[in-house]
Amino acid sequence: MASSRGFVRKAPSKADKTWLVDIRTTDMTANDALWWDSRLGPKHAQIRNRADRYWPWSVLLPMCHLVQLAKRRYCRPLVTWARADNGRFLRAGMSILIENYPYLDVGKPAQSYFVWFMSAAAPSVLQSDFGMSHPPALARLLLDNAIVLSQNSGLEGRMGLHAAVAGGAALMNLYGHCGLLHLPGSAALPPSVRRPNDGRFFFADESVAEVLAGALDASR
Amino acid sequence: MSKFMQLDAKAPATLGAVVEAVTRLSTLSEAKILEIVSAGKIAELFPYTPPGRAVPADTMADEELLEASALPLQREQREALIHSSLPAARKRRASSKR
Repeated sequence: MASSRGFVRKAPSKADKTWLVDIRTTDMTANDALWWDSRLGPKHAQIRNRADRYWPWSVLLPMCHLVQLAKRRYCRPLVTWARADNGRFLRAGMSILIENYPYLDVGKPAQSYFVWFMSAAAPSVLQSDFGMSHPPALARLLLDNAIVLSQNSGLEGRMGLHAAVAGGAALMNLYGHCGLLHLPGSAALPPSVRRPNDGRFFFADESVAEVLAGALDASR
Repeated sequence: MSKFMQLDAKAPATLGAVVEAVTRLSTLSEAKILEIVSAGKIAELFPYTPPGRAVPADTMADEELLEASALPLQREQREALIHSSLPAARKRRASSKR
């Protein structure tokens, strides 16, 4: 690809796909993690089917950096903000990506981005507690961040993730619906992943990544 | 493992706990760590409690947001990003040298 892509700056409303919500992406700091844990964490903890109901971002943020540094890799933690009814921006999504992670398709030994943690605020909470009438649909956007970073880093859009077991079948369906490829449960994993394949890994190869990223170019 | 409250390299007990926690976690796969975190059990392996601080404002104006670069980060940018993952302690130390 000749020129680099930027992050998406508009996303459809979760309830009304014709309504576009302004989006901004920033690097995640301790303050962002503190805000999420304090203001959204207690609400999410009450939603039993959320895979992230126990995720303490204030702990995850330094921990992920440290663990990946020990593995000679870097994390890229991002915050996704959405415009609220008052015209200001509110944190609506969080993600921690890993750079130069082993590509999940062992048929092509290569590096990729890996989406380690990814969370979108509950739309009902954004509406009831934070004055956001149109919470954005963020799953595709958060995955796009990894694809764009991968492309811009010379990794051709390759990315992967593991659907948290706590997310059950619904989370698997979500990633499939987003257009990611499902790594069959019988497939081998790269040795450095150091885990048996439980059938919950998803990935994007170069061509899928380009199709997914291209579909959002009008929103960048 | 002793509980560490801040990542202060000058405190041997703290440093020991950090080394032990990171070493143990780095032997686990990312998917396994995700599973542990999702089960609400990460404190058993990484007993870090950030110091209490004031919660930031809910919202920010567009011009107040420093948008992230979608390009690969330079070394200085990476270092700043890692530093920013820790609460104020690092900043206070740096400013005290002025």
